[in-house]
Amino acid sequence: MRVLMNTGRSIRQGSYVERKNSQAYYDEASACRMHPVDMMDLGVEPGEHVRATGPAGSVVLHVLPADGVQRGEVFVTLGPYANHLVDAETRGTGMPDFKSTSIDLEPTGEDIATVAMLMEACGGVQYRGRDLE
Amino acid sequence: MKVVDVVCPFCGCLCDDLVVEVCDEKVVKVENGCTLASEKFLGDHRLQSPILREGFGWREIGYEEAISVAADILLAADLPLLYGWSGTHGEAQSVGVHLAEVLGGVIDNTSTVCHGPSILAIQEVGHPGCTLGQVKNRADVVVYWGANAIEAHPRHMSRYTTFTQGFFVKDAHLARTVIVVDTRRTETAEIADEFVQVEAGYDYEILSALRAIVRGREDVISGAVGGVAKTQLIRVAEICKRAKFGAIFFGLGLTMSAGKHKNIRNAIELVEELNRHTKWTISPMRGHWNVYGSNEVFTWISGYPFAVDFSRGIAFYNPGETTSVDILRRGECDACLVVGSDPGAHLPRACAAHLAKIPTIQLDPHVNATTHLATLQIPVAVSGIDAEGTAYRMDGVPIRVQKLVETKFPDDTEVLSAIYRRVREVKGQ
Repeated sequence: MRVLMNTGRSIRQGSYVERKNSQAYYDEASACRMHPVDMMDLGVEPGEHVRATGPAGSVVLHVLPADGVQRGEVFVTLGPYANHLVDAETRGTGMPDFKSTSIDLEPTGEDIATVAMLMEACGGVQYRGRDLE
Repeated sequence: MKVVDVVCPFCGCLCDDLVVEVCDEKVVKVENGCTLASEKFLGDHRLQSPILREGFGWREIGYEEAISVAADILLAADLPLLYGWSGTHGEAQSVGVHLAEVLGGVIDNTSTVCHGPSILAIQEVGHPGCTLGQVKNRADVVVYWGANAIEAHPRHMSRYTTFTQGFFVKDAHLARTVIVVDTRRTETAEIADEFVQVEAGYDYEILSALRAIVRGREDVISGAVGGVAKTQLIRVAEICKRAKFGAIFFGLGLTMSAGKHKNIRNAIELVEELNRHTKWTISPMRGHWNVYGSNEVFTWISGYPFAVDFSRGIAFYNPGETTSVDILRRGECDACLVVGSDPGAHLPRACAAHLAKIPTIQLDPHVNATTHLATLQIPVAVSGIDAEGTAYRMDGVPIRVQKLVETKFPDDTEVLSAIYRRVREVKGQ
């Protein structure tokens, strides 16, 4: 299913923004909020996983129903999961298309990567030290 | 010990009425703050010492070695990028600009991926803005456009608009009309008197339609624009024209969606149209607590608010070319210093990949996404908790954030000044 991805702040994302390696941040930043009817069309229940593929790559998310999101759109909080999909092209403005990236969704049984795993996929090295959370 | 009138260093509201209880050099209680403030003050998840990446592992090092490594990395680079700055105080931002100049690098702040387009629009057509105090005391119509205040700036409505009494607006909750324009029915939309649900990407067209109606040319508007009925657009325009004092607050729903800076320009020009009938102002909902300060500090030193390139020996500014996302996407910088921000989490994947490729130094109190990309992280004190300094509220009012507890961590200004001194020493200055 092709949808338009919107990104932005949520109160939970903001609350855990200084604990990006915590379970709470992982749960919030990897949530894909979509209209319940679109969920039905896609054949997914709340909490099930989808593979999202955008112009920059692909990432696994879990879905949550959200009546306030219009059909054909999804909302993912700003963060490393959404940014795994957003292209870095800015069309001469300096600003990527954070609120208007077309992505494809398909149901999957795959696990959701942690923030550290996503950064490793970008070429980084996971820090596993004592102050991780 | 209770400390009163504490300033919250989280979002651009810089609420200055918090009461914080401190016990044994630790914050133990926060009153008056929102959820974000409580997490900020009570969170205690600091990285305890500088860490240096070695191969596929990390080694804890001392501050002296960390500063020396950081200076060496920056000195060896042809084009270092100094990115972030919205999460630190003005004094550190000032050292950052001088460091960028002496290195011949690029310095950019996070407004490049939040209200950078707003700045471009303001440079085109000006900014009919005002302080939040004016809005609180006078506004009887408030518009939130592409801004979910309840989740991003939780006390904005209770301190400055819907839920607070003003000098000329006594019964605020009833006397103020709130209009919310958004693609999503957000929490903020739920309490609006008028919610305008826009089809994604049609803000520009809707602003143009409102301008036409305010000009008396509703005849040129079709039955619906961007998913909004003409009847609702006419009703909204009438509410705006009847206002005694109106204030538009806009968020990233305008700056990041199709049209970007042209959306903001159109919104400012709508305000210009409305000002032929009554008094209106428009202001960006600045996100990070001192992102406005980074624009101010960069401007009063270099002449430009963000994306400042010193590689020519003079300050050069060309958003789209000298902006961080573009520089990282093109792989132009060969080292990066990150201060008070997390580009690993908040820039597109290609940018994170380039940060992992080059030596990246991060000054941040916490382990975040960028930590896993960095070569070196230096933990610093948190401005507003264990460091003090100047910040600029979203309306441009400078406010001093306090040091509430003693700490073992140096603050951003101290670390950056040490790096700056070392760089100048090596350059023989």
